[in-house]
Amino acid sequence: MKSRTFLNSFGLKALVVVVLALLLQPLAYLFIRAGEKSTSEILTLLTRQKTLEVFLTTLLLLVIVVAINVVLGTAMAAGLHYVKIPYPRLFLVASILPLAIPSYVFTYTWKALFPSMQGLWAGAFILALSTMPYMILTVLIAFQKIDLGIIEVGRSLGLSKVALFFRVILPQVRRSISAGALLSGLYVLSDFGAVSLLNVETLTVSISNLFKSSYDRGAASVIGILLFLAAAIFIAFETTLKGRDFETRGNEGFQNSIRRIGSPAHSLITVGVLGSYLICAVLIPFYVLISRFLANPTAVEVTDLITAAAATISVAALGALMAFALSLPLAFLISQGKSGFATTSERLILISHALPGVVVGLALVSFGSRLGSLYQSIYLLAFAYAVLFLAKSVASTSSALALVSPQLKEVAATLGKSRSKIATDVVFPIALPSMSLGVLLVFLTAMKELPATLMLRPTGMDTLATQIWSAASISRFNEAAPYALILVLIAAIPTFILTLPGTAKGTSASEKKVSYL
Amino acid sequence: MTSLSVSHLFVKFGDRDVISDLSFDLAEGEIASLLGPSGCGKTTLLRAIAGLIQPSGGTIRFGSQLVGVSSVVLPPSKRGTGYVPQQGALFPHLSVAKNIAFGLDREIYSKSEISQITEEMVALIGMQGFEDRAPYQLSGGQQMRVALARALAIKPKLILLDEPFAALDAALRDELRNEVIGLLRKLGSTAILVTHDREEALVSSDRVILMRDGRVAQSGTPEEVYESPQSAEIAASTGDVLTLPADKSSTGAISYPLAAQRFAHSSRPSGYVVIRPEEIKVMKEGGIGREGVLTHIDYYGHDAMLTIDLKDDLLEDLADTSTIIRARVAGPAEFNVGQKVYLEHVGPIRYFSLP
Repeated sequence: MKSRTFLNSFGLKALVVVVLALLLQPLAYLFIRAGEKSTSEILTLLTRQKTLEVFLTTLLLLVIVVAINVVLGTAMAAGLHYVKIPYPRLFLVASILPLAIPSYVFTYTWKALFPSMQGLWAGAFILALSTMPYMILTVLIAFQKIDLGIIEVGRSLGLSKVALFFRVILPQVRRSISAGALLSGLYVLSDFGAVSLLNVETLTVSISNLFKSSYDRGAASVIGILLFLAAAIFIAFETTLKGRDFETRGNEGFQNSIRRIGSPAHSLITVGVLGSYLICAVLIPFYVLISRFLANPTAVEVTDLITAAAATISVAALGALMAFALSLPLAFLISQGKSGFATTSERLILISHALPGVVVGLALVSFGSRLGSLYQSIYLLAFAYAVLFLAKSVASTSSALALVSPQLKEVAATLGKSRSKIATDVVFPIALPSMSLGVLLVFLTAMKELPATLMLRPTGMDTLATQIWSAASISRFNEAAPYALILVLIAAIPTFILTLPGTAKGTSASEKKVSYL
Repeated sequence: MTSLSVSHLFVKFGDRDVISDLSFDLAEGEIASLLGPSGCGKTTLLRAIAGLIQPSGGTIRFGSQLVGVSSVVLPPSKRGTGYVPQQGALFPHLSVAKNIAFGLDREIYSKSEISQITEEMVALIGMQGFEDRAPYQLSGGQQMRVALARALAIKPKLILLDEPFAALDAALRDELRNEVIGLLRKLGSTAILVTHDREEALVSSDRVILMRDGRVAQSGTPEEVYESPQSAEIAASTGDVLTLPADKSSTGAISYPLAAQRFAHSSRPSGYVVIRPEEIKVMKEGGIGREGVLTHIDYYGHDAMLTIDLKDDLLEDLADTSTIIRARVAGPAEFNVGQKVYLEHVGPIRYFSLP
């Protein structure tokens, strides 16, 4: 039962429409640019051998990485949750830690060890390493949410442990596996750094090449639209595939009572699989970064380091704040309960998931020249971050607002408070800690962003990401190391926050964590 | 404080009428209970009075002031109702004192007035020393007290309590209820208490408003609704009932299984009588009462419910009607299952004819 009268507001809806317009603007410019080409030109471009090859490569990469993730990620999550292993918390934190390492840093550390690494399978390997934590974390949280009573009933009905896993547990986490697949798939589609360093020509690389070599923005826009459509279709596919929502009774807090499987064989296999993953995705990158840094600690001037770090922090912070501000109207609308308008807007915001950094960068470059002084400013780059991370921001802001129960707002209203007073005296004070955590996480994600940063950064400005990129792409690994170390260490902060037990109060805590990804 | 008048009120959720054509009046200083099963619309009615829901028809008046009609609605912030939702809903980021002072407008009250009122309210609910505590440091009962003080601090025209004691355990519940109702009476508050607990409704209010499917089924003093229910269903919503087949003769005499004039064996019942289990006197020795066999005892401590099978050949051909009598006796029950007992009905005969 929702109170319809006093919280619904026309103004809020108008603001949401403005935000959606801002979000869709880059996309619109992409279409306008592409539209400048004649139909036959577009058709030639789309049907030529090269485009088809690139499209197939991208698709193949997507399928391989998602398949590896679904199998190994689910298995590792199951191992972390159900098998008795030594130092379980250490294993948990370590297996989420690769989230802090951008794909281009992964690639560069591996290439520093194996210089000949390249091609589709190398790309799939690196991208599987970088996206695995998405799968592990989403599925693990789903395992934790399963009602223990159901498992006990399954056992009492005579199911073996294996049958129990496949017939009772797996069907309940299917949605989360699907969600994890979506996250890692979108990451693959939008990745630019890893595939570019490994000479795998995917759509993102094509767009960048077309843009750089010939300044043919029309052609780049056509491929950009193709990439956007691929991502949109992937999202739609996942949405229809994941099927019905299970009503699960959360039972966080009773997790201690779960009986882990204790047989040595199980533990050995689990530790073996998790261990191999951690060697590839944590030990090797850190080993390379640290050894390269120690090999030549003065490869980079300290002032250059500080300048790049400062530039990274300021533009990422600006972007995170913009994303937060843009997310507020819709988050408020969602927190007031489901309405047709809110649901539609929420779906449209998902488009920001389907806009890879390359595409947003290209679109903003395309109409940036009309913006006068804004073009080539950090504001345009920050806006690109805001567009890219708007869906994340809406998710975290609305879950923060959901912490404020409607009852509190109603009580405040009966005590004579106007709507704006309710917002300032009740809603924000309660939601602020959680909101700031969301802003922090978007900020740290923006710090790692590469392709849009490369395209939109003001001339002469270098961020940590672009410095790593320019050094690594010409194999000057010692120079990239200090920048990469700083970036990874800063980006590791949210990883630890995500794995902290009880970061947020309430049963929605774990869902909230997923929404931050 | 003010009187309240709700007249021909309608509230829709989508196409469904949650409240339909509901009217009642409440005098100044009167405490009313809204009693009904979940989903009957009692919370919705309370929220409509507070202004949190817009009615689709009808009027709500505080005294002579029109506060709610379907077209024009005074917003909740302008109504001056003291709303106390379930479990209190204290602001988690504010201390006890700040929660209580929350509704005191700084443009109306000076700083010293605000702290004076807050102090008075803290004293009123007996929570001196707790002013700086955070809500999570309080027990459930204490949270309810603070929520009440917060509502009272704005000197509301009307106090609205939405199942305020439902989340508390039984012992604390009675104690806090007596305390809160006592306080409201002392202040002369006009108040509405939503509850699904029939005893709570009877014991704490001047008037019980029984709700069914968005309408007032019956309204009156606790004695009226308990003693003179307008239907068997209403009787059941205020306490346990026994429904027995009955027949009304042309002279107006009513015969039923426990009546002095026994139910005639050849006749079909023309109606039924509704009896409360405590109105049946159970005797061990035969006399004037009807004979039966005690088949089951539910022992509650302070009293006991006896299940008695009426040994009555006359009733056996009436397949639909019960020959099982449930009678309440004071505990400890000095009865044994299987023994013969003799029953007498001492109380009003509530006869309802069958349609």
